[in-house]
Parts: sequence; C-alpha cells; structure tokens
Amino acid sequence: MLFVELAVTGLVYGCMYAMMAVGLTLVYGLLRILHIAHAGVFALGAYVAVVVANATGSLALGFALALVVSAIAGVAIYRFAYQPLLGHPPFVPMIVSIGLFIVMQEGFRMVFGAYGIAFDDNPWYTSTVAIAGINLNYVEIAMVISSVVLLVGFGLFASLTRAGIGWRATVTDPQMATSFGVDPVRVRYVIFLFGSALAGIAGALVGLLNNYVEPTMGGLVSYKALAIIVLGGLGNVRGTLLASLVLGVVESYGTIYLADVFDRDAIGFLFLIVVLMVRPQGLLGRG
Amino acid sequence: MSAYVASIVSVVGINMILALSLNIITGFCGQVSLGHAAFYGIGAYTAAYLSKLGVALPLTLLAGTITAGLIGVVVGLTSLRVRHDFLAVTTMGIGFVFLGFVRKQKWLGGELGISGIPASGLDPLAYALLIVGAAAAVIAFTVWLKRSWMGFTFDAVADDEDAARTVGINVSTYKLTAFGIGTALAGLAGGLYIYFARIILPDTFDFVQSIAILTMVVIGGTGSVWGIVASTIALTLLPEVSRAASDYRLLIFGAMLMLVMRFSPDGLAGLVRRRTTP
Amino acid sequence: MHKSFIGAALAAGLLFATGASTGASAQIKIGFHAPQSGPAAADGKSSTIGAEIARDWINEKGGVLGQKIELVIYDDQNRPEQAVPIANKLIGQDKVVAAVSGSYSAPTRAAAAVFQTAGIPYFSAYGVHPDITSGGNWAFRGVTLGGPQGKGAAKFISTKFPKAKVSMLTMNNDFGQSIADGFKEVAPKDGLTIIKEYTFGLGERQFGPIIASVKADNPDVIYAIGYYFVGGPLVAQLRAAGLKQPIVAAQAFDSMKLMEIAKDAANGVFVVGGMDRQRKTPPDLQPFEAEFKKRAGYDTEAVAANCYSSVMLVVDAIKRAGSTDPKKIRDALAATKDFPMLTGKLGYFNAIGEIYMPLEVTVVKDGTFVGATVIDDKTILAPPGK
Repeated sequence: MLFVELAVTGLVYGCMYAMMAVGLTLVYGLLRILHIAHAGVFALGAYVAVVVANATGSLALGFALALVVSAIAGVAIYRFAYQPLLGHPPFVPMIVSIGLFIVMQEGFRMVFGAYGIAFDDNPWYTSTVAIAGINLNYVEIAMVISSVVLLVGFGLFASLTRAGIGWRATVTDPQMATSFGVDPVRVRYVIFLFGSALAGIAGALVGLLNNYVEPTMGGLVSYKALAIIVLGGLGNVRGTLLASLVLGVVESYGTIYLADVFDRDAIGFLFLIVVLMVRPQGLLGRG
Repeated sequence: MSAYVASIVSVVGINMILALSLNIITGFCGQVSLGHAAFYGIGAYTAAYLSKLGVALPLTLLAGTITAGLIGVVVGLTSLRVRHDFLAVTTMGIGFVFLGFVRKQKWLGGELGISGIPASGLDPLAYALLIVGAAAAVIAFTVWLKRSWMGFTFDAVADDEDAARTVGINVSTYKLTAFGIGTALAGLAGGLYIYFARIILPDTFDFVQSIAILTMVVIGGTGSVWGIVASTIALTLLPEVSRAASDYRLLIFGAMLMLVMRFSPDGLAGLVRRRTTP
Repeated sequence: MHKSFIGAALAAGLLFATGASTGASAQIKIGFHAPQSGPAAADGKSSTIGAEIARDWINEKGGVLGQKIELVIYDDQNRPEQAVPIANKLIGQDKVVAAVSGSYSAPTRAAAAVFQTAGIPYFSAYGVHPDITSGGNWAFRGVTLGGPQGKGAAKFISTKFPKAKVSMLTMNNDFGQSIADGFKEVAPKDGLTIIKEYTFGLGERQFGPIIASVKADNPDVIYAIGYYFVGGPLVAQLRAAGLKQPIVAAQAFDSMKLMEIAKDAANGVFVVGGMDRQRKTPPDLQPFEAEFKKRAGYDTEAVAANCYSSVMLVVDAIKRAGSTDPKKIRDALAATKDFPMLTGKLGYFNAIGEIYMPLEVTVVKDGTFVGATVIDDKTILAPPGK
C-alpha cells in the first residue's frame, strides 16, 4: 500500500515538475539558452495569484491574472534580456538569466516582504478525497488536471495549427523554416508566451498547495527543472515529460528509502548523473 | 594592517584562488562548471577533518588540495561523456550530490559541520599574508599556464573540440588535466578557508557559492587572469563599501551581472581591451 | 596598466571601508549583526527590529551610565566569511564594548572566535550550534541549546503521552540535528519508542512521501523539528491526510505565520520552547508585542523577542558592571541571575556561557500560542559544560 501511495505522490509531483520543465525545454530547443529566470516567472505567478486573490477575494481572478502577467513577463524577458544576446556563446545569456533570477527574487522580497504570504481563503488545500484508498487534496488533483489539459493542448497546437507547425519547423531547421515564410521571431514570442504562462500557473498552484508564497520559492524547483530537461534530452518535449514523472517517482521513493545516505534534493541529481553516464543524450535523446 | 583589513584581505585572497581555479576549467579549457563550490568544500572538509586529528597546517592544506584534485579528475570524466549545457547541469548536480552526501555523514559532523578547528598558529595578519602569498602564486601560475604550450592546447579544446581532435590533440587528457588542476586549487582555497572561519557547515559550499565563484570569473572576463583578479577584488569589497545600503545589495549584484553580460560579455577584461585598442 | 587598475580598485575599497565608520561619539557602542539581505533576510529583519526597540526604550529612559547607547548594525548575509570581517570591524573600527548576534549559527560561530581573541563579550541571541560558546568564556547564548531542548521535548511527550510510539520528522540543518540528537538520547529512557526518523530540507514544502510513510507507521505522537515555513505546510498536509495524532513541535515553529499557513490545522500543535503571547510577565512583553507590530507590520516573532532581551541583558550587565570595560561587562554578564527575558526567566549562565532557562510549552489555540506547561527541570535542561 505504502509502495503504491509513494508512486502516486511521486506522479503528482511529476506533473508539477512537468509544467515547469516544459517551458524550459521549449526555450532551450529554440534558442539553446538555459533559462534559469523561468523560476522567477514561476514565483511571479504565485505572487500575482495570492495578492490578487487576497485583495479581491476571487481565486479565479487571481489565477487569470497570474496567467496573463507571467505570460507577458516571459515575453518581456525574451525581448529585453535574451534577444540582444543571441549571437553570443551560450553561457552569456545563462549568466544574464542567473542575474535576472536574483533580481526577481530580491525584488519579490522588497515589494512583498521577506516573510511569505498565505492565501486568506484557501478552501481546497486541506480538503481531500480518497481515490482507491489514497488521499489526494483538491489542489493536487487540479495540478494533475491542469498539467494534462495544458500539455495536451500544446500537443494539439504543435501538430494541428499553422503556428505550431511553424514552431516545429523552426526548431528543426530555422533557415528552412524562414524560407518557407515562418517568422522565427514570432515563433519565439509564442514559445515564451506559452512556456511562461505554464510556469505562472504552476507557481500559482504550488502557492495554493503550500498555502505559502515566498520570495525563494522558485529556487529549488528551478534546479530540479534544469535536471529534468537535461534528463529528458535538452529540447525534447516528450523526453522532458517522461523525465518529470520519473524524477517525481524516484524522489518519492528516495525520500523514504535512501534518506540515511542522501537528502532528497541530491537524489534527483544523483539519478541524473547516473543516467547521463549511461545515456549522454538523456532518456530519449536530443529533440 | 588592522585586523579588519587583514580579514578582508583574507577573503579577497580566498575568492581570488577560487575564481582563478574555475577559470582554468571554464576559461582556459571551455568546460562550464556550475558545481565548483563542491571542490572548495572537499578541500575544506579534508583539511578540517585532518586538523582536528592534530595534523599540521602545511599537511592539511596539501591533503585538501590533493583530495579535491583527485575527485576533480573523477568528476572530469563526466566531461568526456557529456558536453556544453549537459555538462553545466551535470556539474551543478555534482554540487547538490556533494552537499546531500556531506549532510548525512555523522563522521563529518552532519548538519553541524566541523567546528573547533584549531588556530593556524599564525596571527591574523601573518595568516592573511600567507593567503595573499598563495593567491599570488596562483596568479603567477595561471599567467604562466595561459602562455604555455598547454595553455594554447586548452584554447584549442575550448574553441572547437572536434577540430582539436583532428589535429591530433588528446582532448580527453587535456580536459582531465584542466579539471584536476582547477579543482585542486579550489581545494587549496578550502583548506585556507578553514583556519580563517574556524567552522565549516555544509551550506557554506552550496549552489549559491558556486554561482558566486562563476560570477567573479565572468565579470572579470572568462579566460583572462587580470580581469578576474580585478573583479574578485571589486566584488569582494562591494559589500564592505555598501553595508549601509544592505537591503539592496543582492539586487545590485544581480543587476550588475545582467548589465556586464549585456554590454560587455567578455567582462572587465574585454572592456579594458576595447578601451586600450581602439 | 593592469596593475594600476587593480591598485586603484583596492585603494578605493579600503578608503571607503575606513571612511565609513565615523559616528557620533560619547555613546556606548554595541555591535549587532544579522542577515538582512538574501534568503535568510526574514529573521534578520525581525531580529534587527527587536534589537532596535530595546535600544530606543533604553535611550528614552536616559541610557546607561549617563550615556546613550548606539547599536552598530551590519548585514552578514548569513555567511561566515562576511561575519569575520564584520566582527573585526566592530572591534577595531567601531570600538564596540560588546556585541549581539541576531544571526544563525555559521556566522555567529565564526564571529565568536574573533570576539574571543579580542576579549569582547559576545551574545548569541538565538544561534543553536553547540560550538558557539565552546571557544572560550567571552561568548554567551540567550537560548536553550538544541540538546536540552530535545531532552525537554522527550520529557514533555513522555509525561503527557506515556509510552508513546513516536515518528520523528527532522529538518536537515544544525538546528534540526542538534535537537533530534538530544531527543534520541533520552527518549528510550523516558519510555518512548522512536519508530522512524524522517528528514527533509529547508526548501521542502511538500511532504507527500513522508506523510504516506508516517501513516503506515501509525505512531501515537508526531514530533516535528523544523522552522515555521516548513512546519505550516507540514502540519496542514498531515491533517489533510487524515492523521489525527498529537503533533509536538520544536521551538522554531513559533511564528504567527504558522497559523496563517496551516490555518485551523495548526490548532492543538504543541511547541516545546515556544512563547506564550498572552503572558503578563515580564511587564514589557505586551508593550513589546504592540511596538513590534507597529514597526514591523506583522506580529512578534520569537527571534525578535530574543534579540530585544539580549540587548536589554547586555545593557543591564553594563549597568551592573558600572563600567564600559569589556572585562567587567563580561564578568557582570556571567554573574547574571534570574533576568526576565521575554521568552522566559533566565536562571543563570554556566561556566562557558550557556543559559539555563525553563522551557515553556505552548499550544496553538484560536490562532495564537497559549501556555500549556513549563518544564523547569534542572537536570534535563542543564546546559552542558565544556
């Protein structure tokens, strides 16, 4: 029973990681940038949700604004931080990204206070429902559902719409895509818009799940998301999804059975290193 | 030199060794590492553990240097398997694994770290001079290394690994050498640190520390020596001059990282070069 | 060219560093450092406000020895390599007669060695690392050590829930480990059975796997050692998972944020080493809570109370010494008996400067901490000697 419960908990975390990591891997696939400030967007989503929800009393409004604001923030980050640096070696935008993440974290601390903020009214997070004997709270269920909906939505977008096909073409061969009339700059905006919205919603959901939004909340998740996208084979969306779920489950078991030797945060990375030594391209190879 | 100046000079010296040691791996040989603090930690833990057993200062420093270098070579093996961004994230993972492991080791003090480290036997001023001497030696060594035949080979590997291989350079050997030297020097910095702080806790060697070291390198100018020397001094003294505005300190730090990279991606060294050669 | 640039940078730095410390004279200077930026800034901010309230109230009443006191405050970012220069600066440049640390263990321990060498009394308001005081006789601690705190918790649990089977949830840091070690040392002797100890990092907010496993263990009591920001989500998730067992927690759960995060789920949680917010003694507790809320905008944090009392105690020692000679202040501090700290009544300091203070146990009721019992056991809580 415990064994199954651990697997289920792990999969729920996996969904959370996936919402975070997919945006990262999309950005990487397109621009070859390790977008560490993505974690800042994640925390931004959480802050917008909690501040708006507490001010207006409407959680729905909070989430809607979280989605909009983080999407805009993502596009702004691309436009002002990354676009001017596209010709430089990859560590240059990466350092800029680290700097931006520090600025965002400290900015949250100064604007919203060093102590975090809790939701005044958070009806879901202590109410649970038992599914086959396993307790899940409503936020966890919402997390699973929204990750599935958003990611399936993205899959449909990528395979059915003109913009989606343009995106895939740009990732595979930018020059060829351009010559077929795809505007690469527009594709980048779309990717940042979508990936950041996803991260913002993930942040808002995690804020709800912890009932606590704090300046540093992006940190740990971002390191893990980096491990996940490498594990998935940088730029490979399917690999990233698989890696998210696998890491969630591995951590879940590791927390209980490996705790005397390694802490939980190390377990994920240990797993990453072992996998990379066997498969340097990640689980499913590069996208 | 007052005790206060001596302690600032000590921190500058230790940071300088750390930054220059990472520069050998990342700057000279082109292998981005986000886990350098782990080797700083390995050196510190080795030296601290031995110092508690009563081993004398020169030997603890030596042992810290060698242990960090040996483990560094092993970790360098990963750079033969994975490249570029994969390597960056792998080395970041190594930092986390090191911390996660040390935290749980009772014989290394676990979360309480190692404290009660014996005094160096030198007064703070003399110890600061020892650190400065070590930093000067490291500067001299890296200047020599950069101009040496090995430095040129590193350059070739950093520029284009595959091209280097086709002209008959044994890329693997050079990568491992860079990792070995760079991590050994980080271990030396760790050893020097323990007699300065007299306590080590796992969190001192966390990811933030790795980023801080990397920051000194990139702001100075990846691959340059004097640029990094200057950036280490500037970045270490920054908190001293801005203690009053402490609330904004990390914010300024982050903003500076962005601005330097945005307007002079090759750091201070690049800025100076462009100024002097119009 | 290169060298001149470096020289200029170095000179500029030193110029600033030395030029910054000219303050008003004829004041008694007390040093203070706390993390004010970065991830640990929250507690640093509360600490600093607590210390400043003490300073202002003392000065309103005319200061000490006919002079006003001045707090020289620096940001240590919770890093030891920042704390060492700060300690040297406080001693050499600022010429403080004593210093208070409103910081965590690592910077406090590193600075303690410097104050020890210089012979300046140094007071750790809430750092729990056992080694802070062990470097000599110039460092004092204003909070009960981790070991005795853990033993106190075992005593409390075994009295209230005799023969209980306990699941331990321990946070991965020096605070967590030292309390857990103390608890594990005496728990079996007190008739308690430890089923399993789970550990988690400071960044952890989701405890699904641990809770699933605790549920399978089915303990009588859950003993949680961690900060309020892990404690809040932890308590809420334990309750949401249907675990109804009593939860006993360690000191650092003591924050009003606990109730904000965990809401009703926090009700009934015991905090060993907590602070009863309704207490009428000492008489300055209620005014302090009001003043703190006014300045900070949020409710009193225990670390703020610790720092307030630490500054009060140091100044009291200066008064008793009748002098600003560091040696005499140290002796007066060491001779302190029955001083009313906001967190409880300080009994005495032992030979190495460790505090003896009864441990208050609080329980969360209607959104605040109220007193449950007081553990005043001279053998269990005895501060360890050398």
